Amino acid sequence: MDQAAVTALLQTLVQGLLTGGLYALIGTGLSLIFGVMNIINFAHGDFLAIGMFITLALFRTFHLDPYLSLLVAAPAGFALGFVIQRLVLSRLGDRLNEGSILATLGLGLIISNTLLLTFGAQPQSINVPYATSTFQLGGVQVSIPLLIAGLGTVAAIVGLNLLLYRTELGRAIRATAQNPLGAELQGVKTGHIQAIVFGLGVAFAAIAGVLLMPLLYAFPTVGENYTTKAFIVTVLGGLGNLPGAVVGGLVLGVIESLGAFYISNNYRDAYGLIAFLLVLLLRPEGLFGRTVKRV
Amino acid sequence: MTTAAPLPAARPRALTFGNVWLSLVLLAVMLLYPFVFGKALNFGVATLIFAGFAMSWNILGGWAGQLSLGHAAFVGVGAYTLTLLATPERVPAFFGGPVAPWWGALIGMGLAALLAAVWGALTFRLRGSYFVLSTIAVALVLRLVAINSSWTGGAEGLFMPELPRLFGLDLFDRKVEYGLAFAFVALTLLVTHLLRRSRLGYALQAVREDEDGARALGIDPTRMKVLAFMLSAALTALGGSLYAIYLQAFEPHTLLELPLSVQIALMAIIGGRGSIQGPIIGALLLSVFGEVFRTVFASANLLIYGVLILVITLFAPDGIMGLFGRTGRKLGTAR
Repeated sequence: MDQAAVTALLQTLVQGLLTGGLYALIGTGLSLIFGVMNIINFAHGDFLAIGMFITLALFRTFHLDPYLSLLVAAPAGFALGFVIQRLVLSRLGDRLNEGSILATLGLGLIISNTLLLTFGAQPQSINVPYATSTFQLGGVQVSIPLLIAGLGTVAAIVGLNLLLYRTELGRAIRATAQNPLGAELQGVKTGHIQAIVFGLGVAFAAIAGVLLMPLLYAFPTVGENYTTKAFIVTVLGGLGNLPGAVVGGLVLGVIESLGAFYISNNYRDAYGLIAFLLVLLLRPEGLFGRTVKRV
Repeated sequence: MTTAAPLPAARPRALTFGNVWLSLVLLAVMLLYPFVFGKALNFGVATLIFAGFAMSWNILGGWAGQLSLGHAAFVGVGAYTLTLLATPERVPAFFGGPVAPWWGALIGMGLAALLAAVWGALTFRLRGSYFVLSTIAVALVLRLVAINSSWTGGAEGLFMPELPRLFGLDLFDRKVEYGLAFAFVALTLLVTHLLRRSRLGYALQAVREDEDGARALGIDPTRMKVLAFMLSAALTALGGSLYAIYLQAFEPHTLLELPLSVQIALMAIIGGRGSIQGPIIGALLLSVFGEVFRTVFASANLLIYGVLILVITLFAPDGIMGLFGRTGRKLGTAR
């Protein structure tokens, strides 16, 4: 390989890893929800869209720097998730498994169509000077907003791990994930924990939306694509497996970038889907998991 | 499985007659529609086609209890097969030139059944959420192929070519299309009625209620589910062919995306999964609501779908038919 080819490969890998970091963030939220509550959130991408539109609205109204919107979008996402779990998901009882698919599908439709009514169908972006800026690192161009997004992802995931493994709440969450009945008997209010977990998952999706906003156009159905990405990430990593979701996200980002560069950009979305189907068929426990979590 | 009746099959016989009567009443209403609302034939044709989709979905989703969110794939297979095979430029003379639409529809059904067989054989080993996720992925892969292949017309999609007449009838006449859509619904309804009393039907209900129990009775759950999937897919593809004729021009975006799959599933679920006439009632309800809300909210008319599905999931898990108590209750909802 000559120098140019190596640089191109490195460029593709960097691009893939940074995008993959964002996928990891989205996938972690979904996987957290699945791991604790055993449900798949079909509105996950729509919560991401909410994060994007909060950023857009704050920028339009107050000229707030997009990254400062995190201070609004993350708590808003958490609150929304908490309320949705309390008002909707907690009422499904023993129909949770299928009921949650339908309920979150319905929620997703409500969110995307409300965004459509409020903001219109036109794709919208925000103009910040650093949106297209890059810096050079040994011949490889790195997009600054993508790098910030990558760092934000790392921070969010480290924060989640600290919460899960260093706090009393984290213990309660892990106990609820492992054995809800046992946790309940130990005095853990599992309903409350599930609401917190759903809130956290939604907050992660909203954070991803904020981090994506300087890079992308926002439109009401933007989430659909990311719901699929989140599914791919969690299946690659193993449903409910948090470290798996991070690796799955990175793997998806790299697969997409390599495929887009070396095969064809038109099929960018297909590489992930095919990897997803292959993993589903050959290793349903995920690339790294040991056992299939019974659904 | 010699006497395959492991479920509350021994329902009062009068109930069956009730069901048949309800089906006949619905069919009669559909037959009268063009004479009363002759000006709104477009709406009628679309509603009937969707009712047929929902009935077909119900065979897998209601009877076998396997939630599919990828039925748009089969609509697409039906629509693309018929259209491509009927377009002279797409079918080289080597293969004998364009194919009449009814043969195209049959071939589409065969292809859809084949796809379902392979897909089902591979994925029904997995339980729970995995199947749902796989259905979404398969439909999306087909969509990507349709968008990126020049043979399928890419993202611009396809135009329906001139079609030969069927028994001297013009297939682009809305009245003819209404008749065909009516026949499609009648066929899916008939299949559902036959299924209810068949070995396959009983086996499917057994698998739905208790897969391990069904296996213990000698039923092969995977085989039964694959059969239901194939039947469901073939019927959906037939509707897809009809839908293509009705639309006359279509693109991957309308035919192969998740919203269409969701719409089909929701119609069946809102009407009542596993009930016989539920999907028709769900399709009617959602079409009417959709139409009303289209005028109020323009493109955001799917909002009503979201609200309805949430309300139904929370308050009427057995759908509209479930609200009518015994007669309409999901067959064998023994909890």
